[in-house]
Amino acid sequence: MTRLLLLLLTSSATLLVFGLWIPLKAAIAQELLEMAWAESQARQTESRPWPWADTWPVARLAIPELNDSMIVLAGTHGESLAFGPGWLTGNDDHAGAVIIAGHRDTHFRSLKTLETGNEIRLQDLDGRWQSYRVQGARVVDSRVELIDTQRLPAGTLLLVTCYPFDSVDANGPLRYVVRASVEGKQREQIETVAGI
Amino acid sequence: MIISSSPLRLYSKAAVSKRQRFRLKRFMEGVSLWLAVMLMLFVHPLYAEANEVENVGQLHFVDGQGQWQEPALVLDSEFDIRVSGLIADSRLLRSFRNTSDEWREGVFVFPLPEKASVYGLTMKVGERTIEGKVQPKETARRTYEKAKQAGQHAANVEQQRPNLFTARVANIPPGETVSVELKYQQPVQYQAGVFELTVPTTLTPRYMPGAPVSTAPDQWQGGWAMPTTEVPDAGAISPFTVNPADVAADSHRASINLVIDSGLALESVSSPSHRLVTGQDGQTFRVRPDGGKILMNRDFVVRWRPVAGLEPSAAIFHQSWEVEDYLMAMLVPGESGTMALPRDLVFVIDTSGSMAGESIRQARSALQAGLDTLTPRDRFNVIQFNSQTHSLFMQPEVATGNNLARARQYVDRLRADGGTEMAPALSRALETASENEDGARVRQVIFITDGAVGNEAALFRQIRRQLGNQRLFTVGIGSAPNRHFMREAARWGRGTYTAIHSPSDVDGPLKALFSAMESPVLTDVRVKWPGQHAGKESFPGRPGDLFQGEPLMHVVRGIPPMGELVVSGRLPGGEQWSRTLDLQQAAPATGLNRHWAREKIDSMEDEARVTDREPDQAGITELAVRHGLMSAYTSFVAVDSTLVRNAEAPVESDNLPTLLPAGSQAGMLRYPQTATSAPLLIALGLVGLMFSIAILLLQRRTIA
Repeated sequence: MTRLLLLLLTSSATLLVFGLWIPLKAAIAQELLEMAWAESQARQTESRPWPWADTWPVARLAIPELNDSMIVLAGTHGESLAFGPGWLTGNDDHAGAVIIAGHRDTHFRSLKTLETGNEIRLQDLDGRWQSYRVQGARVVDSRVELIDTQRLPAGTLLLVTCYPFDSVDANGPLRYVVRASVEGKQREQIETVAGI
Repeated sequence: MIISSSPLRLYSKAAVSKRQRFRLKRFMEGVSLWLAVMLMLFVHPLYAEANEVENVGQLHFVDGQGQWQEPALVLDSEFDIRVSGLIADSRLLRSFRNTSDEWREGVFVFPLPEKASVYGLTMKVGERTIEGKVQPKETARRTYEKAKQAGQHAANVEQQRPNLFTARVANIPPGETVSVELKYQQPVQYQAGVFELTVPTTLTPRYMPGAPVSTAPDQWQGGWAMPTTEVPDAGAISPFTVNPADVAADSHRASINLVIDSGLALESVSSPSHRLVTGQDGQTFRVRPDGGKILMNRDFVVRWRPVAGLEPSAAIFHQSWEVEDYLMAMLVPGESGTMALPRDLVFVIDTSGSMAGESIRQARSALQAGLDTLTPRDRFNVIQFNSQTHSLFMQPEVATGNNLARARQYVDRLRADGGTEMAPALSRALETASENEDGARVRQVIFITDGAVGNEAALFRQIRRQLGNQRLFTVGIGSAPNRHFMREAARWGRGTYTAIHSPSDVDGPLKALFSAMESPVLTDVRVKWPGQHAGKESFPGRPGDLFQGEPLMHVVRGIPPMGELVVSGRLPGGEQWSRTLDLQQAAPATGLNRHWAREKIDSMEDEARVTDREPDQAGITELAVRHGLMSAYTSFVAVDSTLVRNAEAPVESDNLPTLLPAGSQAGMLRYPQTATSAPLLIALGLVGLMFSIAILLLQRRTIA
């Protein structure tokens, strides 16, 4: 009996530690990424946050209303998303659409509180800030919909995370997509429809 | 695993301390328990990984009700191609196997060679074969729809673009196969002593400029692009494009059997796209791709080269069809031009999203190679376009070391993203001419693109309008470029078209292009057939200028194979050049009438474009029906007379996807996985802890 109880106790504790380790890792990584980002900006190169990292910081994302700021990493494979939101697509000069994806339980937890009209700021390697305004958010089913990057107007920023926010299913099909568009430096809007 | 190893070490230490306290039996018990825990820890990530893999890479098709729908039709293709002389005759068998237990209609959009003349359709159901007929497009469509409703086997093939077709096959019984066999012919390309044949298998997703006609919901609807103001038929030319993993394992594979009977001694048969297996039988070569069936995500290209010194420089073919004579002549001037004037060279490079991946790398290296050919006498500029157009210099600059270095840096930084707004880029490239008009310079535009646009016709009109005395050369990039656009843009631009098939294939074709660009070999070309007068039509009506290694191809109707053909032109220096060919030496050939009819249809469409009028629809329809050809206004339809499906049984339509061209990146992205298992782990851990603490407390209470 004691044996079983001990087993249950330790395995639950392990699970808890593992569970807590994920957000902790996400938080610690961001600190390391801050340094890598500063170095990247200073040297104007891709500098890796730790020697064996398979990703590097590409931008800084800030949401002033929520007092939130984080470093965005290149790519959106599982390993890089654990450390920061991932840059799915988009040019450095922000000419096309920019799509950034993040984990709903770590970095992009705050997306649910974003409202239409809120400001999102994106800093590139040169240190220039680009302001975006939230246009709205919607829930999509990733089994049915794909992102058509060519159809998105230039100057669009999409933030993608999983939905619903309090679900425990890590492989759910729903995604929460916040759509923002560039402000300030007004870009030429081109109405286009892409071939699929 | 780096993360998990440290807690494990802690546990093993704990196990060690256990050993000191307990007896052997209890120790074994403890160890096995720990092993069980560790096993669980190891198994968990593996299990999670396996779970994830299952979810990735499956794209299901959705019907109108948002229900799941696996692509139920499996597509099989067989190409049987026979080259004789300058014409390749192909039989393409497409089989649609229905793997569902419902009746299906299959719709498949597919490419054919840009100069293909489709002249036959046969539907095969089990042992029976039903011959198709040519009908005006609308009539054929109505015939097909009626047969589909009635429950008969029916097939319909329509032309959407000269190189893009739609096949529809109605009432495919559950678990059975219905095949359609298309017969088409195409002229073989002959350039600088090398013959080339292309078998396109897929298409690069086309970009549709213009504003959407209807207000489309902001989501992916069944895989078809919305009609736009510039491309009203966008929906008909934009099939789904999927990765090979998204179709059934035996779907979208093609077997190709090529027989080359060119009547020449060949030195080599090769392919820049696939590995080949060749067999030789006298002068006849049998070619097929190595390893059997090929995946339909890359054009199949075969080149053959006659034995050195025996490259043909002229040929005449003859055929009698319905009591009329058809003659086809091929002639290579065999002169080489000399570079006379300094040039203004404008490079235009497509950096749209469809170029992403391997294509943009090839395009960059092509452009770098182009920069290498510049001399300090030349001026140049680099223009890139996607949704916007951007140029390196405001106007062409002298090719100094400094400017070239700037250009190289600019080219290295090019990335592919966004739409394909070609019209403004063409204007930018062609307009700068009028500003500094001096006769002492030759102006040339090199256009590097995959041609993935839906508004080809409008662009040809624009090139014709803006060209002036410039020349436009196209360089086709990628595994499945839009060759129709490439060839026609170059023709309207009085230049040539060069295709690059793979990274290893960049140097050869480009070298040929750059040497050809030095200057045209023959201008003001005139072709005079013996006894030719009004009514004896020969095509092309106005042969364009010929560049080095480029042959003149001409076809005529109603001239018997007697007398002499005279071809004349002007050499770069200004002196006259002429050659005569003895028509009595004509070799017999087949399919010349169809080639002639296709050329005539093309010239009728050209005429309409030049005069800005609607093409002569009745004339084209009549010509196409007489020669049994598919055209923009005629299509094939085959209907079986027996009813197979009773009217109550439902029939569903399956739009078959095409494969994403190899090396290119999907324009459509999947939403990434954006959740961690943290909440689940924390919840499980907390529940377990609470549970065990509760038991512990309970135990204490019972003891007390």
